[in-house]
Amino acid sequence: MAAIDVLPPRARERVDRLERIWAERPGLLGWLTTVDHKRIGLLYFFTSLAFFGAGGVEALLMRTQLAAPNSHLLSPNAYDQAMTMHGITMIFLFVIPMTTGAFGNYLVPLMIGARDMAFPRLNALGFWLFLGSGLFIYSAVFAGIAPDAGWFDYVPLALRRFDPGLNIDFYALGLIFNGVASTLASINFIATIFKLRAPGMSLNRMPLFCFAILAVSFSLVFALPALTLDCVLLELQRRLQFHFFDVGGGGSPLLWQHLFWFFGHPEVYIIVLPAFGIATSIIPTFAKHRMIAFPLVAIAELLVAFIGFGVWAHHMFATGLPLATLVIFAAASMLVVIPSTIQIFAWTATVMMGRPEFRAPLLFIGGFITFFVIGGLSGIMFAAIPFDQATTDTYFVVAHFHFIIFGAAVFPILGGMYYWFPKVTGRMYNEPVAQASFWLSFVGTSLTFFPMHVVGLLGMPRRVYTYDSGLGWDAYNLSETVGAFLLTAGLLLIFGNLVWGRFRGAYAGSDPFFGGTLEWATTSPPPPYNFAVIPKVTSPYPNWDRQDRTEDRPRLEEGVLTLETGHETPASTVIDGALDEIVRMPSESIWPFALALFVALVFVALLFAHYAVAGFLAVAALLAVAAWNAEEPETA
Amino acid sequence: MSAATEAVAVERRRVAHPNGWWGIAIFCASEAMLFGLLLATYYYLRFRATQWPPPGVPEPKVALPLILTAVLVSSSVPVALAARAARAGRVRVAQVALAVALAAQATYFGLQIHLFLDDLAKFTPQQGAYGSAYYTLVGAHHTHVAVGLLLDAWLLLRLAGGLTTYRVNGLLATAFYWHFVNALAVLVVLTQVSPSL
Repeated sequence: MAAIDVLPPRARERVDRLERIWAERPGLLGWLTTVDHKRIGLLYFFTSLAFFGAGGVEALLMRTQLAAPNSHLLSPNAYDQAMTMHGITMIFLFVIPMTTGAFGNYLVPLMIGARDMAFPRLNALGFWLFLGSGLFIYSAVFAGIAPDAGWFDYVPLALRRFDPGLNIDFYALGLIFNGVASTLASINFIATIFKLRAPGMSLNRMPLFCFAILAVSFSLVFALPALTLDCVLLELQRRLQFHFFDVGGGGSPLLWQHLFWFFGHPEVYIIVLPAFGIATSIIPTFAKHRMIAFPLVAIAELLVAFIGFGVWAHHMFATGLPLATLVIFAAASMLVVIPSTIQIFAWTATVMMGRPEFRAPLLFIGGFITFFVIGGLSGIMFAAIPFDQATTDTYFVVAHFHFIIFGAAVFPILGGMYYWFPKVTGRMYNEPVAQASFWLSFVGTSLTFFPMHVVGLLGMPRRVYTYDSGLGWDAYNLSETVGAFLLTAGLLLIFGNLVWGRFRGAYAGSDPFFGGTLEWATTSPPPPYNFAVIPKVTSPYPNWDRQDRTEDRPRLEEGVLTLETGHETPASTVIDGALDEIVRMPSESIWPFALALFVALVFVALLFAHYAVAGFLAVAALLAVAAWNAEEPETA
Repeated sequence: MSAATEAVAVERRRVAHPNGWWGIAIFCASEAMLFGLLLATYYYLRFRATQWPPPGVPEPKVALPLILTAVLVSSSVPVALAARAARAGRVRVAQVALAVALAAQATYFGLQIHLFLDDLAKFTPQQGAYGSAYYTLVGAHHTHVAVGLLLDAWLLLRLAGGLTTYRVNGLLATAFYWHFVNALAVLVVLTQVSPSL
């Protein structure tokens, strides 16, 4: 909508009014008080990208150590810390905040034609809590006492007797802290997706990306309590000598594993589902064809999340659970194949039925499907109990899950960065360099993770800080390390391309790829109010409905759903998406930031066992909640 | 149009649940999972034990916790009344009903804390898995009641300034929260007293 400058005077007046109503404070203070989902999305993006860098450095440290046998670059304890932090960082501080926090926040309101998230201040709080939890956990790294019992943090290793420092306390408190942030964000996504869809967007017309975010949010809401509870019980045992995990006191170490994997397996789908959502956004645009089997794909996305709750014990096949239990969980694990395969066939069929244009975003989706199939096939192998018991704790497992959570989860994130870059910045990236960066990353990923299958089958155990020569593992390990550095080069090329594009790229216009969903119906970058007039929706690909989009201009002139009298957005009924009410949205506020600060201090006080101080800080946090609540949207 | 009449008009027009209702409903769903897993933890440890409670630890009292829970659950009635009155714009009725609920819930909370301290004098969570599971489960529930009391008190304070759409939504959310906590109370107390049944 570059034509916004030549709007007729009546429409111009309305747009000017919207500009005034939705303007936020400039400068640093504006970033601290913002409730704009796009700015919060960018905050999530840069923060999680920084953590991605840290997690990447940890990975490179490990790969450098393992490049040759008997290497002692890292001490055993430093290696344990790097390994643990790599897992925690990539899962909790990179993939979840990047997919839900950055992509979800930026895109969901745009895709459903809303002006913000359902709870804008809660959205800000979620970000500040996430940042606080990340800094909390990383302060342990700089103090040299980072968590060191693996991201799975198995007891009894994680009990005070075997790990007496603050390392594990950083883990447990940090993840409780992080879980609060993710839960709040998920509640917000569900309410937004159910309530704020533009009138006419019934559930069956909702973009598949939003279905994926919905499935992820439900998974987080139901899975995170297990991790939170597990960490609470662990802290009670470590700090106050409760007995949950020690056999001597009547506890059970397996209790930790049950609760952990009850969270941990849904977590895998939490990581990979947004990737499915990104794939279902990129494929139709570049194949120039609607997604084949649209409703089936939507159901499959939700089904993957649902089945994810019934398979946790397949992480525990080697712990001596009863055989009947193993068989049930093995069968449930094989069920996951069905919804996953539905989606793979739907993606490939859509590409085949359309006229695909293999630009960088679609190439990354091609890489994603390739890696997902490889990782999926090794996943089915683990559902077979004897195979699992033979390969558990070997590098074969590491190979499998990196194909899924790096190949399948991160490639769409990278493709998505290219795809939505013009929308966010208004400029284009360099296409040939982008394609080169894809091939470099693709080769790097394959070279890093594929040999791990072989070395795992040759018996190399995972989590070891070094290994002896003469076991036939040396060449594979060296190639993995070379692959890791190639992959790093590919990633740096991507980010270099984006930085170049931000300053030197050609102007993109509002819709450079002719996308079908609503984010392409507004300017690039979108204005603070997203849409001058709430768009009319009559199909799942509203931006391809030329009739509806040409009607937007006269609707703006007449003032149909322009909502220019206040900070407002329409709310609809949950299933049919019929206009129900106009909701007044809160404007910028410092209280989410203040509250997050107090909560962070509470966790610091808990870490150092100053419980009275923690109590006072909790009261301060409650007062911040009260001040927040007293600032009502009607008056603000 | 005053804020109160506008709030009533919004309530009349709207056909679906408001955003705030969805927010609290999903929050409670997450909390339900937390309690489900807490109960699962309790039974997991219990079914591994040879004696529950272990020798030297008294069996839990039955009558008093059940009576107290009945009091707490009955507070759902004034809470529901308060929500209904607020939607109809009758702020005075809402305040009175909420105050009655708060009185019942505060009494429950006070007596439960008394029982909790009484139990602590007899056996500690450090004595073994039974004590750990018992105090964690019961303590988690008391924490939820305490949060509800704070919500009640805060809402009473806000309602003194009249009705707005925001406050009506707040009251609806608080009412949902209380119904949820009261339902949980039944599961928690039945588990708590189960060794004596």
